[in-house]
Amino acid sequence: MKRTTIIIIYLLLAVFALNAQDQQQMVTDCALSIAGNTTYLKDFVIKLPEKSNQDNIPVHKENIYLMKKQKYLFTQCNADDSNGELTIELYDANNLITGSINKKSGKVYSSVEFSCNKTGLYTIWYSFKDGKNGTGVGIVSLLK
Amino acid sequence: MKRIFYSLTIFLFLLLLYSCNNSTRKRAEFVFPESDSIPVNEAEKLSREAIDDIVQNIGSPVEMSALLLELDVPFIAEHLASVEQAENLSTNFQKALRLGIYGADLGYLNIYEKTGTAVETLSTINKLADGLRVGQFFDFETLKSLAINKSNIDSLLFLSVHSYNEIDKYLRENERGYLSALMISGVWLEAQYLACKIVDDYPHMDLKNRIGEQKIIINDLLMLLRPYNESSEEYRVLYNDFELLKREYSDVSITFTPGEPETVEKDGRLVVIQNEESNVVISDDILQKIIQKTEEIRSKIISL
Repeated sequence: MKRTTIIIIYLLLAVFALNAQDQQQMVTDCALSIAGNTTYLKDFVIKLPEKSNQDNIPVHKENIYLMKKQKYLFTQCNADDSNGELTIELYDANNLITGSINKKSGKVYSSVEFSCNKTGLYTIWYSFKDGKNGTGVGIVSLLK
Repeated sequence: MKRIFYSLTIFLFLLLLYSCNNSTRKRAEFVFPESDSIPVNEAEKLSREAIDDIVQNIGSPVEMSALLLELDVPFIAEHLASVEQAENLSTNFQKALRLGIYGADLGYLNIYEKTGTAVETLSTINKLADGLRVGQFFDFETLKSLAINKSNIDSLLFLSVHSYNEIDKYLRENERGYLSALMISGVWLEAQYLACKIVDDYPHMDLKNRIGEQKIIINDLLMLLRPYNESSEEYRVLYNDFELLKREYSDVSITFTPGEPETVEKDGRLVVIQNEESNVVISDDILQKIIQKTEEIRSKIISL
């Protein structure tokens, strides 16, 4: 019994360690996939459960300062084993400015370019399309 | 059976070391609980959530430099902080502030692709990070190799900014927000200093406006520092200096013009143009006062 417990703890630790490593690799891969005409600023690793009901889609929110006369690129990458597709919505206070999902066609854009004309604190809402569970990374970069 | 457990233990220890760093980070350090963290009850008057709300990219090591490059301002090495006395810094307060300052300098160097000069700054950052026991997030050898070979500026920029983000995150998550706030303040101050030094010779309107826009950010920066304001004399002095700088901003006016965003699809990418605008009104007199105060604070920190 004691041995079994110890083995389970070891396995859990191993899973945790591998998971952390995978996440770091995912961030690096995603950030470098858009390198060239962008300068990396921030990354957010997003892991969300499946929605509990239609009105309760899990959201991960991040606040970020955006500066006037800068072009930002919001890029979303999904983990290989992610069920959901990572999407963003950008808010200025409570006003939705844009989102990466076309509500009519359902098309998800993996990148959103934002020409900022108002310096201030914005909120990025990360969620997975249709409220599925998933893992992904959002990268915020400057467009050169 | 014992042998299996020993093997498993060694394997897991190595795996944890590997995974606690990213693929290119140093592997050799393990960080134990810190003695320099301030007790939560004493200092963490803001909730972690509130601090997280404030903290994202207040002090970006590259955004101001990217603007300078975009405005065709030449690289001016003399504005960089000297790395000569960095090894003599004795307190974590000084080290964390300098870590921020050199982070902004590194961003400036990298954005302008002055990677040969960056090696010295990288080396200093590495020592400071080790001194603060966050060296595991700073892969000096890889960064140095990228800088020397000038082979991949994108990777160099990514790795250096990402290292700072990870250090900041680690400090905040491990109740060392005291040091994170200092590092962020250092990054912000140095970026502000570079802009102030350059705007005199290159009085571009966008640069003046960017300095004026810092009025929005300095309030949050003060909020970030406030919980630790009374923790030490040097912290109190820094906080008061930033408070004085904020006062210089009191006559800077920021207005907003409403407008609806336009969205188009271009090359498979969604392109959004914001038509709501922020407008900065800053007189030359006020700008000079802000420049003077910024230089004064930065000079005080550099002479520590």
